[in-house]
Amino acid sequence: MPALDFMTVSIIYITAIVILLVGYLTAVSSKDIVRLLIALELMFGAVFMSLIPLFSVLPDPAFGVALLTIFASGGELLVLSAAIVIHDRRKKSILTSSVSIGGDNV
Amino acid sequence: MNVEMLLLVALAGVTALSTLGVLLTKDNFYAAMYMTLTLVMVATIYAFFSIEPVFVLIVFVFIGAIGIVTVAIAATYRHGPERQFSVFWAIPIVVTAAVLCYSIYTYVLDVPVYTALMTFTTHYSLKYSIENFITTEYLLLLLFMTSLAVLLMLSVVNIYRSEN
Repeated sequence: MPALDFMTVSIIYITAIVILLVGYLTAVSSKDIVRLLIALELMFGAVFMSLIPLFSVLPDPAFGVALLTIFASGGELLVLSAAIVIHDRRKKSILTSSVSIGGDNV
Repeated sequence: MNVEMLLLVALAGVTALSTLGVLLTKDNFYAAMYMTLTLVMVATIYAFFSIEPVFVLIVFVFIGAIGIVTVAIAATYRHGPERQFSVFWAIPIVVTAAVLCYSIYTYVLDVPVYTALMTFTTHYSLKYSIENFITTEYLLLLLFMTSLAVLLMLSVVNIYRSEN
């Protein structure tokens, strides 16, 4: 497989960094759990984006990491959707401010 | 810049803009829609490099299942959150982006035009074939991941039942 040139790799990594930073900012500014879920999905999107250069040098491990990312994202969605339902049932709210244990003020 | 490079820059730009839409919108539903658009653009960049297996995985599994469930949850629990962080955090982000852009700009200026043009005409097609992936090691990895996913699902169902 041909290696990617510096410019292409730069564009890919800068886009991945932008997606990751926006994901972080969305996560720290989120006031409800749904927004947190969206932020985590964005971070997984950044992981996918940063995998593209790996496909030019190590395609099979890159595909394995892509599969692992999809499994991890599916597991995260499962756990968070269950957490949203349970939290809503207990507190009648999905606001992160209604979580009384753990965490810190940003 | 050749046409392929311009197309890649355009795709990356649309991806970055749709990502910013997630941060700027106050409605969870629209944030989820912008997130889905971002993931579609990431899949399109994979298609740009001719990595079709991952394009199919992202579009049909990541977006088709996980993304749509997120959109459904966001549509159910619509809420406009308030910002918890100061807008001054944008300053270091802008500075970092400027440094990155300047470093790329100086790199392009340093390289002679002919060399740059020859570099830009490199092959964009990565042509990944899934046949090489189907080996014992990777099948074992898939088996382990599937087992872990089933275990996770059972745990979540157990927690949900105990809540009821």
